[in-house]
Amino acid sequence: MTDCHGDERCITCGDVAVEMTVLRVDTERDLALCEAEGERETVEIALVGPVAPGDALLVHAGTALQRTTA
Amino acid sequence: MRFVDEFRDPELGKVLAGEIVSTVEPGRHYKVMEVCGGHTHSIYKYGIDDLLPENVELVHGPGCPVCVIPMGRVDDGIAIARQPGVIFTCFGDMMRVPGSQGSLLDAKAEGADVRMVYSPLDALRIAKNNPDREVVFFAIGFETTAPSTALTLKRARAEGVPNFFCMCNHVTIVPPLRALLDSPDLRLDGFIGPGHVSTVVGARPFEFIPADYGKPVVISGFEPLDVLQAIQMILRQLADGRCEVENQYRRVVPYEGNLRALEIMSEVFRLRPHFEWRGLGFISQSALALTDAYADLDAERRYDVPGVRVADPKACQCGEVLKGVIKPWECKVFGTACTPERPIGTCMVSPEGACAAYYNYGRYAREREVV
Repeated sequence: MTDCHGDERCITCGDVAVEMTVLRVDTERDLALCEAEGERETVEIALVGPVAPGDALLVHAGTALQRTTA
Repeated sequence: MRFVDEFRDPELGKVLAGEIVSTVEPGRHYKVMEVCGGHTHSIYKYGIDDLLPENVELVHGPGCPVCVIPMGRVDDGIAIARQPGVIFTCFGDMMRVPGSQGSLLDAKAEGADVRMVYSPLDALRIAKNNPDREVVFFAIGFETTAPSTALTLKRARAEGVPNFFCMCNHVTIVPPLRALLDSPDLRLDGFIGPGHVSTVVGARPFEFIPADYGKPVVISGFEPLDVLQAIQMILRQLADGRCEVENQYRRVVPYEGNLRALEIMSEVFRLRPHFEWRGLGFISQSALALTDAYADLDAERRYDVPGVRVADPKACQCGEVLKGVIKPWECKVFGTACTPERPIGTCMVSPEGACAAYYNYGRYAREREVV
């Protein structure tokens, strides 16, 4: 059984959050396509307010929790 | 990736280690607890404890949600997973946690449809793609993860997905900390506060620790220099005779947290009157359940679950490890009967569990010491 995160860490136990860059935004559904290290993921953005392509977000379990400072 | 290089600089690490040495009082023993399993992982992975003076001891706290899940809840999850037509989804590490009759992975091997997901949103997607099946998400985690579950439940409601349900096992960070501070067999000097939990709850909930117990708290990031700096800040407070909540992780943790996340959580979740924590027993108001407004999405109300309390295996000393009373290697079954491949206790399951982290990284340093 592999761990649930590529860095040998568990998403929930380690409270692993990764910085991702916004590629595309679906404002109607409050979702954004984000990327980190070549991996793409659909992310909930309802908790961080309006975002635009290029913004950096701290993402945990598919949800952006905060913006990060560049 | 940004963040990483500047927070892993060995030269800066040496400078911080030197500052720590010059801050400690010779002859005084310091016990500092890292609350979060992510910090435990970083400490062992990067050998941070090897950089500390001998009189600074790191104690591993209960901040790994997989490690504190009691066996009875695993049994309840397996009972739901075995219901005909159910697709049971959970994060990967949860699949290996032993219940009284095996793990979710064992249930999968026996025919239950158990699937690993990376987010609650993935589970919702499975529900939409399988309209003739009932999809249950086993929600687990502290306040970092709870907003994600809350948003997904709101989305399921808004998009009218009728076959998505949630078995809620979310826990909250403050009650177990208070229980630990009230524990007579543990004397701590300070806390490394959980970085990503604090992105949601902010720093304010930890103010009771200096106010009521006179101990410093420093909220910390997860890179090696973050953790070293947090330890230095705690020791500095102790040397100055101060105790307060400080925020080492300001680049992502605002003092007030994420107010929108807290608002959504309060809409979807209510506090359970009590919840069992493995090794710590029942703790009042320490876990979340769905509010009545989301009762129709609550898997515990939809399915019959045993709901039975199951005692931990006798040989397992996870409780003492979780309270920091013993070190992982002091457990009777550590590394022999209990290994990451065949865990008996939950602390050996997740890489963030103190036993697994120590088994994977720290034991080599200890073997060198013994030789």
